[in-house]
Amino acid sequence: MYPFWEVPFFTSGLVIALIATFHILPCHLATGAFWFNVYVERKAYKQNRPELLEFIKKFSLLILIFCFVIGSLSGVGIWYAATVASPRGISGLIHNYVWGWATEWVFFIIEIAAIYVYYYTIGKIDPKSHLMLGWLYAWAAWISMVIITGILAFMLSAGKWVETGGFFDGFFNETYWPQLFTRTAFMFGIAGVYAAIVASTIKNKKVKDEIIRTAGLWGVVGMLAGVVFAAWYLYKLPPHAKELWLDESLPYLSHLINIAALAYAIVFVWFVICCIVKPKLAGPVSGVIILLVLFMGIGAGEGFREGIRRPYIIDQYMYGNQIVARDIPAKHIKAEIPKFDKEGFLTHLFFKPDKIDPENSRDLLLAGNVIVHHQCGNCHALDRFGKLRPLPELLENLSPESPEDIEGLLESLGDYPYMPPFAGNDLDRKAASEYLFSIVRR
Amino acid sequence: MDIATYLNTMRDPAGLPFYPIIFQFLLVLTFALHIVMVNLVVGSTFVAIWEIWKKNKYGLRLSKALGRVLTVSLSIAIVLGVAPLLFVQVIYDPFWYTATTMSAFWALMFLVVITLAFYAAYGFYLGNKKADLTSVKTGWAWVSAGFLMCTALIIHMLSMEQLVPEHWKDWIVSPSGIVSYAGGEFHAIELGRLLHFIIPSFAVTGVFLMLYAAYFHGREDYDEEYLDYVGQKGAWLAFWASALAIGAGFWWLGLVPAEFHFARNPFFLAGAILGFITTAFIGASISKPRQRALPAAGLMFLTIFTMSCAREALRMKHMSLSGYSIYNYPVNPDWPSTILFFATFVMGLFVLYFPAIAAYQAGKVKAGEVATIDPAIGKKAVTAMIAWFVIVAGLGIVVSLKNGVLF
Ligand code: HEC
Repeated sequence: MYPFWEVPFFTSGLVIALIATFHILPCHLATGAFWFNVYVERKAYKQNRPELLEFIKKFSLLILIFCFVIGSLSGVGIWYAATVASPRGISGLIHNYVWGWATEWVFFIIEIAAIYVYYYTIGKIDPKSHLMLGWLYAWAAWISMVIITGILAFMLSAGKWVETGGFFDGFFNETYWPQLFTRTAFMFGIAGVYAAIVASTIKNKKVKDEIIRTAGLWGVVGMLAGVVFAAWYLYKLPPHAKELWLDESLPYLSHLINIAALAYAIVFVWFVICCIVKPKLAGPVSGVIILLVLFMGIGAGEGFREGIRRPYIIDQYMYGNQIVARDIPAKHIKAEIPKFDKEGFLTHLFFKPDKIDPENSRDLLLAGNVIVHHQCGNCHALDRFGKLRPLPELLENLSPESPEDIEGLLESLGDYPYMPPFAGNDLDRKAASEYLFSIVRR
Repeated sequence: MDIATYLNTMRDPAGLPFYPIIFQFLLVLTFALHIVMVNLVVGSTFVAIWEIWKKNKYGLRLSKALGRVLTVSLSIAIVLGVAPLLFVQVIYDPFWYTATTMSAFWALMFLVVITLAFYAAYGFYLGNKKADLTSVKTGWAWVSAGFLMCTALIIHMLSMEQLVPEHWKDWIVSPSGIVSYAGGEFHAIELGRLLHFIIPSFAVTGVFLMLYAAYFHGREDYDEEYLDYVGQKGAWLAFWASALAIGAGFWWLGLVPAEFHFARNPFFLAGAILGFITTAFIGASISKPRQRALPAAGLMFLTIFTMSCAREALRMKHMSLSGYSIYNYPVNPDWPSTILFFATFVMGLFVLYFPAIAAYQAGKVKAGEVATIDPAIGKKAVTAMIAWFVIVAGLGIVVSLKNGVLF
């Protein structure tokens, strides 16, 4: 195992969640907004209305400075955060999907070339070619979504990959298409919000109202389509995931869905009232409030997607604590739990105390500390005031009387539908229990 | 467990989806492209500050122009950097993941710092966009330069930590057996190596200025004298920086463990010879920077690429000390996805011709005029994109139907 990184109070998992939520807004905008942009630009040329170009300029600069910069940096940010929180998880994805990411990278290069040339040649090259640059960006950006969705969907439902190990078998899995359609629909919704905000700063009132109305219409259509696709998406979730959610094994999943749905409804109503019916109301203030609502909704939605994946980080293949869960014969991969049960977990660790004397209680605690960090720390905070399912508190609810009680819990850990089994031999289990017992307040 | 066992068992259980040497080649190639852009960012920030400080009118004009270059090249540098970041994790995963988790805090700070550098660069560019030449301000450029240096230091540290696996355990496991999970390690800085990155920044920027002078030559609204100023400044800068970079290179060589006999490594030798040739060539071009700009740029890139190969050779030497070689990494070849990438890559080059030619021609006409680009070029580029999507989506539908996952 790689060294473990512990974030006090916050846990590394929440760091990823935060960066990821922050990434979704700019990146969906970066992928969606240009469709709106080229639509308006085309109209400007076709109906010979240069005043619309003022919007194009403003909107492009916003996309460039906010979405492209923040979008690309926070994208790398998710990657880094995932790396330091779950190195074996990201390694598993990369070693199966490196060519997918490399392909996506080609589109990133096209995107960046297209967007900068587009922005800096407004009014400097002939309209036809300029419009084509817009189309080029719009396609490149959306294709980058077409690719990344495959990898995200793979983490949720690995599909036939577990049998064949084939790139495309894992990529085009049961949640791929519904997820792609849902994201595409949302992308238009998010683009609509931004377009309305930017348009509200235009001076020419007629142009302003017209663009806000159009943006509202895009938003409404996007969000209506989104509902249909989202339903399809939920329907296609793997059975295991559906159980976690619908059987209320993890009640917070339904809360997350409710929050996401509420945010969704608020944004929809805003589009109808503040953009289509009374474009006056779509100002920067109401826009920013709506952005915050969106931010919350997206956070909840992505949290749900992460949550229903339990106990895996990669569906069926790797547990949340980065231990390989099953054989993948096509890739010569062996499940690791039997190995650790037989040979011991601690023996396979490199970063650990040099000498451990099983009779010495301090040694045992030190060993337990390492084991518990690796096996529980990805999903649980180990300090009492931690934000993510703090173990001291959860254990206290079970009021264990002795380390042996905790050993019993560890033996049956795999019976919980959302937790991986404990991996290790008797010594590992003993050390882990001693340590866990030491953090419980009695 | 010894370090060699650790490194070899931490390799990803899935193996590689293609042969390691291909990933290694792509790693070196994309690294070289990335580092050239990074050099341009660093160099042009400092040149912009320097030129404002000197307060001559051409210098101020140049600084303003560099402000825009800065933002664009920083974006390109970041996007280009994604590729080597990806490939290094494929073949050197045990090193990369150990270093980043041990220094997790710094790995994340890296992103914070680069974001700040980015916005500071935008502050410099947008803040001076409307300014006339007498009121150009450097504040944001300084901020950006400072953050850029921090970024350089962090990423340098992360690469260096990977080279010394024999120290890892001492860093995070204390003698009394307590393991650190703080992710705050910061070790193994090597000034000679860092300088060998920073100094060439000025050489690359110098060559860029030569290209700038050559490109805008003949545009009516750029006066000859200004372009001569820029071109000569560029050649002068490129020459001196290259000469100093050779010095820093030998300093670095002195820091490399003697048992590597690195001075006899063919990549190193080729890089050093190319370095001398490039320096001499630029030195001979100071009086005619415009005419020599293109060959100078070609030589410069070749040198940097060869030096990137030498850097990779050095990494392999370091890692072989711990019993690691990428060439015995297990491989499970996945042909379909390999073809997907290479086909897309070729298509990408074809598509990129369109924005490249559009930018090139737009920059050639004077302010206020409109350049016309052959409409067929743009159409072909967009058609290629749509075709890509249709083919991949078609494939996807076939695969989904075959696997029964669509409905
Ligand atoms: C894949 C993530 C994951 C890992 C790894 C994990 N857990 Fe959990 N654990 C959960 C989730 C999710 C819950 C449910 C918490 C809730 O109800 O909100 C949970 C709940 C618990 C509970 C409370 C059970 C109850 O409902 O009474 C205990 C105790 C617990 N975990 C102990 C552990 C220990 C000890 C380890 C390490 C050996 C561990 N967990 C590893 C995800 C994980």
